[in-house]
Amino acid sequence: MRGSQIFANAIEDLDLYPVFGNPGTTELPALRNIKSYILTLHDSISVGMADGLAQYSGKVKMVNLHTLPGLANSMAFIYTAKMNHTPLIITAGQQDMRHMVLEPILYYNLENVISDAVKFKYELRNVDDIEIAMKRAKLIAQTPPTGPVFLSLPMNIMDMDGTYSKMDDFNFSYELINIEAVKEISEKIMRAKNPAIVFGYEIDIFNAFKEAEEFAEKLGCPVFGEPLSSRAVFNTENTIFAGDLMPGSTLINLSLLNNDLIVFIGGDITLYPYLPSPILPGKDLIFIGLNISPKMGNFYQMNPKLFLKESMKYIEKKCNYSRPKDLTFATKIANERSSLGFNYVMYQTKKFFKDYTIVDESISASYTLRNILGYKSKGYFTAKSGQLGWGLPASAGIAMQNKKVLLVIGDGSFMYTMQTLWTLKKYNIPLKIVVLRNNAYNILRSFAKSYYPEMENSPFLKFELEIERFAQSFGIQSQVAGNDLKELSWLAEGEDPKVLVIDVDKNIPKLFL
Amino acid sequence: MKALTILPDFIPQEEVKKTVAQILPDMEIINNTDIEKSDAEILVVTTFTKVDKNLIDRMPNLKFVQVASTGYDNVDLDYLRSKNIMLSNIPVANKQSVAEHVIAFTLLFLKDMLNLNEEMKVHHRWPMLTGSRDLEGKIFGIVGMGMIGIQLAKRLLPFNVGIVYYDIRRLAPEEEERYGLTYMEFNDLLKNADIISIHLPLTEKTRKMFGEKEFSLMKDGAILINTARGEIIDEKALINAMKKKNIKVGIDVYEKEPPDFNSEIFKMDDAIFSPHIAGVTIESQQRFLTETISNVLRYVQGLEPLYRVI
Repeated sequence: MRGSQIFANAIEDLDLYPVFGNPGTTELPALRNIKSYILTLHDSISVGMADGLAQYSGKVKMVNLHTLPGLANSMAFIYTAKMNHTPLIITAGQQDMRHMVLEPILYYNLENVISDAVKFKYELRNVDDIEIAMKRAKLIAQTPPTGPVFLSLPMNIMDMDGTYSKMDDFNFSYELINIEAVKEISEKIMRAKNPAIVFGYEIDIFNAFKEAEEFAEKLGCPVFGEPLSSRAVFNTENTIFAGDLMPGSTLINLSLLNNDLIVFIGGDITLYPYLPSPILPGKDLIFIGLNISPKMGNFYQMNPKLFLKESMKYIEKKCNYSRPKDLTFATKIANERSSLGFNYVMYQTKKFFKDYTIVDESISASYTLRNILGYKSKGYFTAKSGQLGWGLPASAGIAMQNKKVLLVIGDGSFMYTMQTLWTLKKYNIPLKIVVLRNNAYNILRSFAKSYYPEMENSPFLKFELEIERFAQSFGIQSQVAGNDLKELSWLAEGEDPKVLVIDVDKNIPKLFL
Repeated sequence: MKALTILPDFIPQEEVKKTVAQILPDMEIINNTDIEKSDAEILVVTTFTKVDKNLIDRMPNLKFVQVASTGYDNVDLDYLRSKNIMLSNIPVANKQSVAEHVIAFTLLFLKDMLNLNEEMKVHHRWPMLTGSRDLEGKIFGIVGMGMIGIQLAKRLLPFNVGIVYYDIRRLAPEEEERYGLTYMEFNDLLKNADIISIHLPLTEKTRKMFGEKEFSLMKDGAILINTARGEIIDEKALINAMKKKNIKVGIDVYEKEPPDFNSEIFKMDDAIFSPHIAGVTIESQQRFLTETISNVLRYVQGLEPLYRVI
């Protein structure tokens, strides 16, 4: 059997279709027998789409990049997949091995390029490597901590003859629990004076929303979200949720000032910017999870869902926390109507998109978005890396499986991977997009305002973009919203991909200390 | 990096110490300047602590002084300069509070609150006639459109007043449109406004900026509010105007503080006073604390602190 057929069979048997990519000549030999290929008009978009779909579906997904240029173009996205712990098999074509020594065009050492952004990397040496390498790639990608892996596919290997026997997919389980540790942790919680719980993105990955709520309600202590979570962490409608921790040591310390024990379940501490306060000095810290790798406190590797279920046997009511209702919210909405402030925009958006999965790359509006649109199971996704340009392709990937996906993105972020609109149109992917246009990189301006005030109005932080016309040029319906935002109703209608541009308040928000 | 905070006695020390231990464990907190010597590089004080040669000489490593307030009259600027020590204040924490204070003064006058309260509480009377008036439709003049002026304008918008302003620097047209502002030359503002609120710094140009001539241009019965600096108003001219033109005045700031209570101004019926407290609220103190912490952290990080005075 020819190498390209072995490759295609392995993809099918390991349930990896569709393949996302942007091929070049070096990839064509590997793609001769491919059954399902989603074309993106920039290499990086294929990684972003696969990342979104892999996270939403909970399955390993596959990407095919165009040797060095494709890989290099996609490095930020591969790094994001690593930070998101997304299980991806990233492949790239490689020059024909028979003349690599002559350094033909498009040749480079791809394993060196991808470096430590993946958990596993391998360049095929022989046609019989394909079956083994593909199987190992999938196994390693989904072994905790999950993440991307890389295979380099030299052109001539795909034309060699080899053997292939049908592969069974893995029967993979994440059912890891340490019963003794659960008892020990539960006792520690009951002994603490004033414990707090911090839930992280693994609550969503392991579908532990119900268990998290039951645990939190039985204990009664305040529940926080990990700083800059990439996914939903808890049902935010529940008033035991006290809010997300901010990603600065000083701010985390102030939020948890009165707590002596902090238990992070399925989450970690993510920081930016640097602040000189030591993190939670004198506090007892416990981390529980499968993917996370905490840098402090005591870590117990186990499935957070199983921990939460088991610990219910040992915990009892400890506190009576309930989040106070924000009675100033209605006033904020009314006040922000004329300027299209973030609170007003998110409040109106929630009316039409409450049951949608939200993909967030609104950056300077993200805190408000999380607060108002809230979290629910498989209801919130963002890039853990801080990269811009991920939101559009990732939401397109999710919308391949879920017809109710809303991307909320800033105008600056939108421009990085705008070609995704072509893929939306080509494959009729029903993604709805809100572009918050403030004509600037306002997250940078906010940072400048706090640390380098002389730079907050720098001309190189500002731009003017006719986003609606870009969208229309790709054949995507697009409108600019008026102050009453009635166009949100138009955006929600039907299953065509659509773009709504909202000219939001251009004031610089205070986002840093 | 070592830091020293000197707090006045009335601030609960233990609560602050607990918080600071989580933010900057190297920060020492004391409640008086009675120290022999300190090797701290940073000094945090309120306006209640005198930062003079006597204190500075006992801190040989001192490089940065952060005053946790807008004012820094308690600091010997020349001596700090001579020692090449940086100084920052916090000019952004109380602008909302001052704006609300101005509106409080305004409504106390317009709604005839002091009189009605006295009628009922002191005289046990049920007045049938009232001089109470609406703010809606009045012309509100703001003299000085800085951060406090903007905050005041934002709060006045829902009252449906006409907002006119004067400043040596006119705002951009889009800013005027956003806050519903009409620019006027100073004399025109004096002639048109029913209520005038002063938000200017004290400079040689603004000293006694409100004198006989200016009061003569104001409408009879107009309300004048000063939460900026006492020296901006010529007090003698004001008293004359109150007598001749029924000008009403809300005063928070005085040429000398505390003022001379024997002054004729304290005998006038149409004057309401507060003790330079427009910017001092529980909430503004919390904002001062947050901004102070942020700025000290900036310095510890190696960044340029904001709000540099020196």
